[in-house]
Amino acid sequence: MHVEILYRPAHAMARVHLAPHESITAESGSMVGMSPNLALQTQSGGLLSGVKRLFGGESFFRNTFTAPDERGELLLAHALCGDMRVLEMTQAGYLLQSSAFVASTPNVLVGTELGGLKSFFSGAGLFVLRATAPSPGLLVVGAFGGLEELYCDGNLVIDTGHLVAWDATLDYSLGKSSSGWLLSFLSGEGLVCHFRGQGRIWIQSRSAAAYGKEIGSLLPPRRR
Amino acid sequence: MQHVITHGPSFAMLRVDLSPGETVVGEAGSMVARHQSLAMAVKLNAGKGRGFFAIFKAFVVALLRRIIGRETLFVNHFTTERGGSVWLAPTLAGQIVHRRLNGELLLLSTGAYLAHAGDVELKLKWGGLRGLLAKEGFFFLGVTGHGDLWFTSYGGIEAVDVNGSYLIDNGNLVGYEGNLKLSIKSAGGGLLGLAASGEGLVCEFTGQGRVWLQTRNLEALVGWLSPMLPR
Repeated sequence: MHVEILYRPAHAMARVHLAPHESITAESGSMVGMSPNLALQTQSGGLLSGVKRLFGGESFFRNTFTAPDERGELLLAHALCGDMRVLEMTQAGYLLQSSAFVASTPNVLVGTELGGLKSFFSGAGLFVLRATAPSPGLLVVGAFGGLEELYCDGNLVIDTGHLVAWDATLDYSLGKSSSGWLLSFLSGEGLVCHFRGQGRIWIQSRSAAAYGKEIGSLLPPRRR
Repeated sequence: MQHVITHGPSFAMLRVDLSPGETVVGEAGSMVARHQSLAMAVKLNAGKGRGFFAIFKAFVVALLRRIIGRETLFVNHFTTERGGSVWLAPTLAGQIVHRRLNGELLLLSTGAYLAHAGDVELKLKWGGLRGLLAKEGFFFLGVTGHGDLWFTSYGGIEAVDVNGSYLIDNGNLVGYEGNLKLSIKSAGGGLLGLAASGEGLVCEFTGQGRVWLQTRNLEALVGWLSPMLPR
């Protein structure tokens, strides 16, 4: 399998080249185009995992595309304007901000988990996704805005709205951005993620929640 | 202090690298990430005055900015004893421009301020009736002093060096140098021109100096989006 990212950075699209009998699992609704020989299978992985996925900010269903005895091609895109990245699966795997998942090779297990009890108050980032794989594989993530890779040397604090993915080798905890809840509120930063340990973190240069709030406040109220 | 602006023009992000003892100030809510070695302190976004009255005045001014200008009451001061970096980004899709100030005055539209460093003072400037007409709010943010200023836009930012006179649509104005004179005009000339051209009111700048305009207009986006919403 070979994945290339086109139209970076503002309107990125992934072109997935599938060898015979290879498959890729993609977020529902992310398919832009495909060669006609691909077989499509929809799965929720059981009701419970489907519901958990909904909580994780993903859709209920995921689609698996499989090439027959010949090569196939699949085009995938993220809903928002922004960049995409192909990550090679590592032993530790990755943690993802809920809406960042675009696609993965079928050997990648994607589970939803609660991102720390404190996150109950954040509204965003209540759930994160953990992606692990027993063998080499690929994970495709999408961002709102530009994608930047930072290296954490035990010392990074990141706004939850700007998180895309991070190495599962890192310890993280959600917390206030300032010393008190009032100051955190006034600072406008809301909740932040404190990272400890060594590993890579991918951040996005825009926050979808903040963008929605800013534009949303200017729109007329919905009539009921 | 070093800085780099990446991901422009659509989704620009600013990284400021601080040496021990240095400070950078950013708009509330603009922090993307920071090193743990940087301390963040929330402060009122107005003036440098001391004493109760000055603080009270600062609060009222900040509150006005919040209500009228879609701006935040507070700014965040990032300081460090060991050095480190902070990443800042605005909310909307757009560019970030850096300007080194050497005592001159810049006037920014509401929402254009992102960050500053050094001996820089932010003051609200009453825009008068022209500010009201130009829908820029009643206030411009006056920035003066010696230091660094970073401002932002919706869309790309174009710098226009005015020599004589230049017209800019009010919704596309980002900021201008204080030695320019601003007046409000009808783009088409007269009432008919105002109604027929679809350009509404424009800002006319006269004199010599630089104006920054943004290539997209937030009001136009909202105007286009609003009728599309489900009822």
